[in-house]
Amino acid sequence: MSTNDKLNSQEHSQEDEFPCEERGCDEEARTWQKAAHAQLRGNPTEEAGAGAPLRIGIYICRCGGNISDVVDVERVAETVRLIPGVTTAKVHTFVCSDPGQHMISNDILQENLDRVVVASCTPFLHEQTFRGAVARGGMNPYLYEHVNIREQASWAHKHDPEGATAKAIRMIAGAVGKLRFAQPLEQIKLPNHRRALVIGGGIAGMKAAADLAARGIKVMLVETAQKLGGKLNQWGRVYPSERPAAVLVAELAERIQQDPNVEVLLGANVTEVSGFIGNFKVAIELQGSSTSTPSRKDATVGAIIMATGFRPYVPRDGEFLYRAEPCVLTMPEFIRFFQGLSGGAKQIIFNNRSIRRIAFLHCVGSRQLDGVHEPGADGRLNTYCSRTCCTTILQQALAVRERFPGVEVLDFHQDIRTYGSGEENYYIEASKAGVLFFRYDGSEPPTVQPTSSSRIKEGALTVAVKDVLTWGQELEVPVDMVVLGTGMVAGQIGDLIDQIKLATGEDGFLQEVHPKLRPVEVAVNGVLLAGTAQGPMNIAETLAAAGAAAAKAASMFAREDVELNPYVAQVDPTRCCGEAECVTQCSYEGALKIVEMQLDDEVIRRAEVNAGLCVGCGACVAVCPHRAIDLNGWRLDQYEAMVDGIAADLPSTACASELVNIH
Amino acid sequence: MNTHVNSDFTPDALVIGAGIAGLQSALDLADQGLQVLLVERQPSIGGHMIALSKVYPTLDCASCITTPKMSAAAHHPNITILTNTEVEGIETRDEVHHVRLLQKPTYVNFDKCIGCRLCEYACDTEYPDPFEEGLGSVKAIAVPFTNAIPQKAVLNAEVCGTCGSCARVCPTGAIEYDQQPRRLMIRTDAVIVASGFNLNALTVKPQYNAQRSRNIISPLMLERLLAPHGPYGRVLRPSDGKMPSSIAFVQCAGSRDESIGVSYCSRVCCMYAIKQAMLLSGALPLADITIYYMDIRAFGKGYEQFYQNAKAMGINFVRGKVARINPVEDGDLSLHVETTEDAENPLQERRHDLVVLAQGMIPGWQPSATTPVTCSANGFVAAPTLTAPTATTAPGIFVAGTAAGPKDIVDTIAEAGAAAMQASQYLYQKRSAILVG
Ligand SMILES: Cc1cc2nc3c(=O)[nH]c(=O)nc-3n(C[C@H](O)[C@H](O)[C@H](O)COP(=O)(O)OP(=O)(O)OC[C@H]3O[C@@H](n4cnc5c(N)ncnc54)[C@H](O)[C@@H]3O)c2cc1C
Ligand SMILES: Cc1cc2nc3c(=O)[nH]c(=O)nc-3n(C[C@H](O)[C@H](O)[C@H](O)COP(=O)(O)OP(=O)(O)OC[C@H]3O[C@@H](n4cnc5c(N)ncnc54)[C@H](O)[C@@H]3O)c2cc1C
Repeated sequence: MSTNDKLNSQEHSQEDEFPCEERGCDEEARTWQKAAHAQLRGNPTEEAGAGAPLRIGIYICRCGGNISDVVDVERVAETVRLIPGVTTAKVHTFVCSDPGQHMISNDILQENLDRVVVASCTPFLHEQTFRGAVARGGMNPYLYEHVNIREQASWAHKHDPEGATAKAIRMIAGAVGKLRFAQPLEQIKLPNHRRALVIGGGIAGMKAAADLAARGIKVMLVETAQKLGGKLNQWGRVYPSERPAAVLVAELAERIQQDPNVEVLLGANVTEVSGFIGNFKVAIELQGSSTSTPSRKDATVGAIIMATGFRPYVPRDGEFLYRAEPCVLTMPEFIRFFQGLSGGAKQIIFNNRSIRRIAFLHCVGSRQLDGVHEPGADGRLNTYCSRTCCTTILQQALAVRERFPGVEVLDFHQDIRTYGSGEENYYIEASKAGVLFFRYDGSEPPTVQPTSSSRIKEGALTVAVKDVLTWGQELEVPVDMVVLGTGMVAGQIGDLIDQIKLATGEDGFLQEVHPKLRPVEVAVNGVLLAGTAQGPMNIAETLAAAGAAAAKAASMFAREDVELNPYVAQVDPTRCCGEAECVTQCSYEGALKIVEMQLDDEVIRRAEVNAGLCVGCGACVAVCPHRAIDLNGWRLDQYEAMVDGIAADLPSTACASELVNIH
Repeated sequence: MNTHVNSDFTPDALVIGAGIAGLQSALDLADQGLQVLLVERQPSIGGHMIALSKVYPTLDCASCITTPKMSAAAHHPNITILTNTEVEGIETRDEVHHVRLLQKPTYVNFDKCIGCRLCEYACDTEYPDPFEEGLGSVKAIAVPFTNAIPQKAVLNAEVCGTCGSCARVCPTGAIEYDQQPRRLMIRTDAVIVASGFNLNALTVKPQYNAQRSRNIISPLMLERLLAPHGPYGRVLRPSDGKMPSSIAFVQCAGSRDESIGVSYCSRVCCMYAIKQAMLLSGALPLADITIYYMDIRAFGKGYEQFYQNAKAMGINFVRGKVARINPVEDGDLSLHVETTEDAENPLQERRHDLVVLAQGMIPGWQPSATTPVTCSANGFVAAPTLTAPTATTAPGIFVAGTAAGPKDIVDTIAEAGAAAMQASQYLYQKRSAILVG
């Protein structure tokens, strides 16, 4: 019966057949179950429409030993080969390698395979790889199942090879079961709005915008401040070029302000984000200024680049006497003060005192240890390294020594991390310029106290340290000024995290999908990361990351349509009666709604899925009383077959006669 | 995989080197619809990364991350790959780069070779396997390694005894002993230099006596020893095949040292030493592992935590400079160390049975003599502009990855994307100017 026939028949004899009635409902469900059961126990291949029996190929990966050192892969192959419908089961050292993939596409062509299973590592790494290989063999890529026997068998059961092998066999049997009911699926194609939204107008945001615009792509750049440039507006000369930060900012700002492809919105905030890759709907609120009133702007963009930057760490009151003593400054405060000294100054005067000795403390607010440091207001320790403070400290220390050779400079560190291009030179030069280095162990950081009256003449503040370089001597050094090498903490972007559904790491910074495979992408397709919003970086690294994000966006925009995975919910209109339990349950706004449709004379209500917004979570499937909604690629009949496959009475040693009985 | 190229082929961009930097750049250009020629001098693409064991900070197996990118490049309709081909130089005239290529003979006709390896099985000449850092051996004619791309046999003429057995067994008649080097000139509008790094010699510091002991090894050798499909399948020391029980990592053994002309930091050694130490303590649970260092530079995302985990696992971190290494009896080594840990006893002799020297990273190729690109004082390709870290001194030529200076995979991949973006912009601007003009 076609969908239309069924809809018509429902209309005529609603009493009896319309599944909305409790009785009808049960009956429907029972019939459904019976049919599914019959299919499962019977010969599902016919249901698949092929006519001929299924031809399933199974490929088992050794992962160079990662799997085969524990799982007896040869035995797995011998065993699963006996499952009905399986025509090929092969083992390869790296199925993901080119020869491995070639073997799959070749077998599909030569042996007419119509379903493929690869048992290897996590699908996170290679599901796409193998779908590609399957497609190259001319098969629908969704007739493919991925089984993770590395993380879930060999690694999880390292010390139980027998059990790991048995588990691998069961997992594959489950996948075979699921594949019996698999249907070919097509990627969902949606129109692609060739315009990017960049949030944040620091160097990361400006660079990403400039790069995209120069490629002919339209960009809207939203910056909350009234000025472009971000933190760089606060620094003077920057390492390693020693050029003024303002020059760098001006160069980028000019490029985007002159490019007709870029629309720069200053004093603006993104307040609403909805939609999906290729089709994000955003609302922007402009704060208004002396010349303009607050206003709102709506736009549709295809990609969003998060370039919201970092915040400098602000010490707690009293941390190293910060805010208790005027001569304790954070690094940004020191940079501002030191830059502000007049060109002809012969000595450093601060707070009406002549400064003769300055201490720089590394790792303030970074590399914090449990039990040594106090967590911040959010209960978090900043256990990470802020990456830029060491070089910044040495740059400033050197500048002090060069301009004021009479001022002594002391440096208190755990490790000196001048790793980058041109950075080690600051360390070498600072040593040559007479900067004195003290080294502490991370578990015993230095302290800052007011100097005792007997030594007050040497400086108002005393830094006490257990110095590793002198084999653990406890030293107390009076100084006039303490500069705290404060690091970076994650920006506060509030609502955007929830609205865009961004993930943050333990460190609070925005989290990429995978640092090597997809370093500038997040779990939400079409959203990219640029610069220090992702974690501490220096300028060159920020610019490179922004370029990489722009490259990803440009690749996305190179296609006419955006293509999405077909794993979305699908409504069976013959069963749906518009009760909307699914809509209530759905947590993705707009993904499911009730629509009214005209059927002959009557208006009926049915649920409808927006494929762009549906994430395929399945919450709707679980609550539908009529089994009227299901997930493509993960249908209930597939689950049942999978569970049956896994649970079938399966000896771990290949016992052919028993195996044949599992289906 | 498209490997046929002659001088009529004018790709939009040419990428020099198919390590992770070159692969990522090529993919990011090709995904934007541009035609790319990727040139690699080795018999396989993949660069250094494909030979690593597991990679920090995630400890993913290196093959698992590299092979999909290699395979994606090999299958990309917009990417053409030439292996066994060296870029010799570039001349730029009227904004067009004329790239000189040398295709080295492989003595195997790639159109005919089906990668069946029968030649390899038939060959009875062996030499130290370069892929295994010389730790295992390989036949004179062989497919370079299991997951190499392309899967084609290559004959090493320097060791081949021309006995003819490979030609006799080859089912497709692919062996061609008379192949000659071939020179080719490719014209292109944009070039990305991704020629990577080398390590300076193990013997660069004579006081470490690396030439006197086979148990002083390079970190790349240790990567192979730790790889699940490595030469021995487990960690054994080279001199006598003994399982090491006390392993020393000597950091900065070729960097941060003005006396050997490498004053910069190689940026990856701290982290790979920590990684290797962690992997070793898994492979050899009873072994003592010590890292001798000046500063631990665990600066990247998640790196500090990685370091703290290693400390918690019981790996010894000793702050101190190793002044000398001397071979002693039983193939062991004595390290003369000045530590900052013991005031009574700052100078110590410490005995280990395997020593790994953190060699310095140096450029993989010197383009300044034969191309318009200039290099900085330390030999890496210089990036002169403030706002474009991947630019070079030559318009239309860009740089990515360790060719521009030491860096790890995460930073290399970001830079490769940035270089691709810079190149694609350059092409777009150049072509729109032509359209308008
Ligand atoms: C003390 C110090 C000194 C430094 N010195 C150097 C140096 O000499 N050399 C070097 O290489 N690196 C240096 N750095 C690092 C350098 O500052 C960073 O690499 C750089 O600022 C990162 O730029 P960004 O665009 O990622 O972030 P930011 O500079 O933080 O810019 C982010 C921008 O986004 C905006 N924004 C944030 N949230 C929103 C929102 N919700 N909506 C709209 N806009 C938003 C902000 O207003 C800001 O303009 C230093 C860092 C510190 C802490
Ligand atoms: C022992 C060790 C362990 C490491 N472990 C890690 C780790 O765990 N995690 C991590 O992130 N990083 C690690 N690294 C760093 C990592 O190896 C590099 O970051 C990365 O491999 C750099 O890639 P690349 O493409 O820039 O260079 P390469 O891999 O060197 O690639 C350059 C390619 O260019 C080719 N080439 C050069 N010149 C020419 C020419 N003229 N013509 C044609 N081809 C040419 C070369 O043959 C080579 O294939 C490690 C490094 C070492 C030494």
